Amino acid sequence: MIRAALKTTLPIFFGYLPLGIAFGMLFQELGYPWYFATIMGICIYAGAAQFMAIGLLAASAGYVEIAIATFFLNSRHLFYGLALLNNFGTWGLRKLYLIFGLTDEVFSLMSTIDVPSGLEKSKFYFFMTLFSQSYWVLGCTLGAWAGTKLAVNTQGMEFAATALFTVLLIEQWLKVKKPLPFVVAIIASGIALFLFAEHMLILAISLSVIFMIVLRLTNKNLQDEY
Amino acid sequence: MNIEYLIIVIAIMAIATFATRLPPFVLFSGREQHPLLRFIAKYTPPMVMTILVIYMLKGVNYLAMEGLFTFIALSATIATHLWKRNALLSICVGTATFMAAVQW
Repeated sequence: MIRAALKTTLPIFFGYLPLGIAFGMLFQELGYPWYFATIMGICIYAGAAQFMAIGLLAASAGYVEIAIATFFLNSRHLFYGLALLNNFGTWGLRKLYLIFGLTDEVFSLMSTIDVPSGLEKSKFYFFMTLFSQSYWVLGCTLGAWAGTKLAVNTQGMEFAATALFTVLLIEQWLKVKKPLPFVVAIIASGIALFLFAEHMLILAISLSVIFMIVLRLTNKNLQDEY
Repeated sequence: MNIEYLIIVIAIMAIATFATRLPPFVLFSGREQHPLLRFIAKYTPPMVMTILVIYMLKGVNYLAMEGLFTFIALSATIATHLWKRNALLSICVGTATFMAAVQW
């Protein structure tokens, strides 16, 4: 179980470690003790939001502003749960942790890969989430604690995230076997990019889900699917 | 540097982030089998993956060398994946290609 979960999450390791280190290095420039980068990785566990936090902290932003900005930045996660409603088992601490740890990368892996046969899904997901967060926390800590002393040149390693999403996109293509959702997503992205480039994610995801619902309501073939 | 401020900010951000991940599970608890929800559950992943790839690629400056490196590394990732269909291998090949290109 543990070995399988490690193997599955290894791509996330390559993505999170350099990104976490980059966060830690920037965070440490604010002058706070290094271990607060660790605490942020443990308690917040959101890549983009933590990078945004550096700017907000430096600007001594207000609490309400920070709450709204964080919620808005992460609002795409509202849709991730929809695809995994059946997969996290019964309510309990484990389920709450799986929900807490539902980042872009973890969601992408969970919704694309098949759990190895013989393994209990929610347990396997628990280890996937735990390991993924560990990589992130490790990166944040290393960056803040030893960032300037690190001899490893991680420049370019951030491409791992692009590569991961690309590979999972191919897998989704092979799995879904019809162009409709991809076409809908491309159109929605085009509109979102045009309307507000910087925050395109939430608009593109909302639009594509709305488009799919409208298509289903107006199209008999799609209604027959379930 | 104000430790109290930092601690409150961390708490707020932790709650705000969790608040974006929790709602679907609470709102639709017990209604997982609803046909429309199952329909959305099926099509959200391919759409999100498409959007995430577009998002990652939109920030690239295609007029600089970065654009060429991204194109080469992305081609290497796709080619490796179509050839071996091993996610880890494809990601390693793509990332190594990109790192080699930007560091030299």
